[in-house]
Amino acid sequence: MKRVETEILVIGGGATGTGVAWDAALRGFRTVLVEKRDLTHGTTGRYHGLLHSGARYVLKDADAAVECMQENRILRHTHTHCIEDTSGFFVVTPQDEGDYPDRFAAACRRLDIPCAEIPVSSALRREPLLNPRISRVFEVSDAAADSFLATHATAQAARQAGAQLLTYHEVIGLHVCGGDGNRTVSGASVLDMVSGEEVRIDADLVINAAGAWAGQIAGLAGVEMTGILGKGVMLATNHRLTNTVLNRCKMPADGDILAPIQTVSVIGTTDERVTDAEDLRIEEWEVDLMLAEGDKLVPGLSRSRILRAWAGVRPLWFKGRSEDFRIERCNDARQMGGCIVRGDSRDAPRSLALLNHQERDGISGFLTITGGKWTTFRLMAEAAVDEACAQLRVSRPCRTSETAVPGIEGHYWLGQRLNQVEDEGLQKELICECELVTRSMLESAVWDNPTVTLDDLRRDVRLGMGPCQGGFCTYRAVGILHALRAAQADVSDSDAPQRSPVIDPQAAVSQPNLLLREFLQERWKGVMPILWGQQLRQERLDELIYLSILNADHLPACE
Amino acid sequence: MLDLLVIGAGLTGLFAAYTAARAGLRVRVVAKGMGATHWHAGTIDVLGYLPGQERAWVADWTQAVAELPAAHPYRLLGVEAMGTALDEFQKLSVEVGLPYGRAGVGGQNQLLVSPVGAGRPVYLAPMAQQAGNLADERPLLIVGLSGMQDFYPALIAENLQKQGHRARSVTVALDLPKGQANSPLQVARLLDLPTAQERLVEAVAGVDAAGERLGLPAVLGLHNHCRLIAQLEEASGGGTIFEIPTLPPSVPGMRLDAALRARLDELGARIEMGMEAREVQAVDRRIQWVETETSSRPLRHRAQNYLLASGGILGGGIRGDHSGRVLETVFDLPLTVPQERSQWLRPLFLDGRGHPIFQGGVAVDAQCRPLDAAGLPVYENLWAAGAILAHTDPIRERSREGVAIALGYAAARQIAECSGDV
Repeated sequence: MKRVETEILVIGGGATGTGVAWDAALRGFRTVLVEKRDLTHGTTGRYHGLLHSGARYVLKDADAAVECMQENRILRHTHTHCIEDTSGFFVVTPQDEGDYPDRFAAACRRLDIPCAEIPVSSALRREPLLNPRISRVFEVSDAAADSFLATHATAQAARQAGAQLLTYHEVIGLHVCGGDGNRTVSGASVLDMVSGEEVRIDADLVINAAGAWAGQIAGLAGVEMTGILGKGVMLATNHRLTNTVLNRCKMPADGDILAPIQTVSVIGTTDERVTDAEDLRIEEWEVDLMLAEGDKLVPGLSRSRILRAWAGVRPLWFKGRSEDFRIERCNDARQMGGCIVRGDSRDAPRSLALLNHQERDGISGFLTITGGKWTTFRLMAEAAVDEACAQLRVSRPCRTSETAVPGIEGHYWLGQRLNQVEDEGLQKELICECELVTRSMLESAVWDNPTVTLDDLRRDVRLGMGPCQGGFCTYRAVGILHALRAAQADVSDSDAPQRSPVIDPQAAVSQPNLLLREFLQERWKGVMPILWGQQLRQERLDELIYLSILNADHLPACE
Repeated sequence: MLDLLVIGAGLTGLFAAYTAARAGLRVRVVAKGMGATHWHAGTIDVLGYLPGQERAWVADWTQAVAELPAAHPYRLLGVEAMGTALDEFQKLSVEVGLPYGRAGVGGQNQLLVSPVGAGRPVYLAPMAQQAGNLADERPLLIVGLSGMQDFYPALIAENLQKQGHRARSVTVALDLPKGQANSPLQVARLLDLPTAQERLVEAVAGVDAAGERLGLPAVLGLHNHCRLIAQLEEASGGGTIFEIPTLPPSVPGMRLDAALRARLDELGARIEMGMEAREVQAVDRRIQWVETETSSRPLRHRAQNYLLASGGILGGGIRGDHSGRVLETVFDLPLTVPQERSQWLRPLFLDGRGHPIFQGGVAVDAQCRPLDAAGLPVYENLWAAGAILAHTDPIRERSREGVAIALGYAAARQIAECSGDV
């Protein structure tokens, strides 16, 4: 069995875990991160992409609002290229009556969250598709964030600071030693999902940043930690409807955010309590609700072409214990077959929660960081590593708020990729015309990040995320990967320079057919809930390509 | 007045228009776009897989048709009528200089190499693809062109090997222009030029093919590929060359489309593009006119008979909306599709049973006339054919061209008979 020794072991490769690894490594800790799938495979890769100004929570959760406001400022400097400075509007639609807007503006002032009321006419000039019947508009410093890019940049920064990130390594056990009252977590057993090999990791401290899976991880140490899981459904349109983030100026509820993310607009979200972090089903009513609510922000949104629907599960945390929440089978027809926790997860706090299991459960060497928002991932990491320092009895200040992650200069802007393609004459290199992914982008993603499935590449370069949903690029990516890895397998016998050691050079060579079918299915999963009109027609074209032309359903069996 | 107005310019519409024009009818084709012929592989797929038996390909479609559901359009026609239509198509293909051939006797299918190295069950193959028949035991050498997009010879060869065929791959330099995409279509256009043809002949002559068949991407010119193939065969020392189709737009599909259009032109049948049918007038179960939208003004087309060949969901003849309504887009004909969105799709994309939404369509009688709920023709002078028909999923069955040709032909013959003066 392979053994690894480290000071800090981080569990979870989402925004938070990657942030913890970055923070810990910057403070000089030997750090190892394990993630059971690919980075951002969990909730980080399934969120709407909004960098909160804090305004959304001013009346509901002041702690979360202030955390968001502070982190919004910091991330603009540390993760500049992952953020598009879109600005944000809180708009009062005819459905949003009452005194909320005045209370909202007052709370923003009280919490020092920048918020300026602007004339409706100027808001409509900037966003012509915005509902013309709105009565008031407040401008705040919301922005759009690329959570895939940001996590990869954080991961790169963590690696540069000496951290080791192991993806496709699933925790199968936590090592707990000592008897009652003196129990300590001393490491973990993890399974390398690609090789099937078990790895033993000894660590001075284990930080559980597994997000929606944190309860399962804590369970491995015998700790009961039933957080609350709130599933949110989001839809992407096939182009941008607005260039500004839109919020309804009302108590946060379903479908009241419309965020421009790269080439699309994302409408979200619902908030359904679920018991399983992998319960990502999308119900018809959820899609209908998003469209109906979206129409209130941008009339006609429901008639625009929807590309895809997806769900993410938020890990939320109440200060009380899990006994406060009864779990029962749900009889509600809307959520057939689902096992749901009663009550509304929308009411759960959005601020971060650091669980000191020594105080809480009498187990040392083990922390859990949960709750929070994507916007506050850096702060969550800081809190976790501060506590780690305290437990390890060292004093090392946090440096992440002044350290920029590697990346290009300046904020993201919509024409960035097109500009690059045109400037550098890369038209002939395009393998995904929808998202302007070039062959070299795909190849460097393969070199830079461990790649096991095409979906990993999607998270790296947006492969297959545009209108054709993989119709053309799935085949191309398989062909390119096959050629790339065949070439790599040829040179691996010689003394060629070692590339990323985690790449399995044989996977795509031996199983290109599997890669192809898996990715087609992965794309199908997300279009099924929204398949009508032109997108339905698109899928019929994708069937023509993969069935009639390629006969991909009759390729030799995948072992 | 026209004898026949055909709505749709896919293979169904064009072959039906040809059949009717040849029978002496005055025919016009109106269509919104180019039709789906450009998207497919240019082969004539009649029946590759039977529903419920997706693993085994159909070796002879004449034997398999009886196993299709009774309502399948093929069952309405019968094997003999299908054979007549396909023979007519084959004759036409020879006439227009784009000969299609079968692999054996009767309704025997052939397996041709797909662009990912699977075997595609095809009935009639264009001459350029015939030597790719996998029943042939000669080994295969898949030849890529360096710098061309969308063709992966090593992947094709590897998958062929996995299926027990002797295959390998090689990539030759064609000195393609820098700074442009070099998609299959662009390369095909380039290979219409003598200079580029010479370079390819030279490159292929340099390939050391030991008794192998050479499979190249289907880009050997839009206009004169047969001559280029002959030159390549000569250059390779008497070897055999065949084409492998590529991602859409498909060069073999475009050749077929162009050949049909040219023939219709000779017959005096007009094809009007950019005309979306948007309104119809009917009196006493007879269509009076169909109005199309054009860039300048609406236009009314009056004809004795109307053939609906607007395609299924892919072609635009059928549209499903968010509420779960599924509409036939020109005449609002009744459709045999589930009207609940939750019933449209299956959880697995590649589910061998196919997706219910893609299996519905316009139900017709044995004369190809659309039927109402009572089983009576909706209009006396309206016919329907091709992918718009109910009880078939042409993409799953690999029956796209068979349904287009057989039903298009049958409908056109019926119309010719009804027109009386023929």
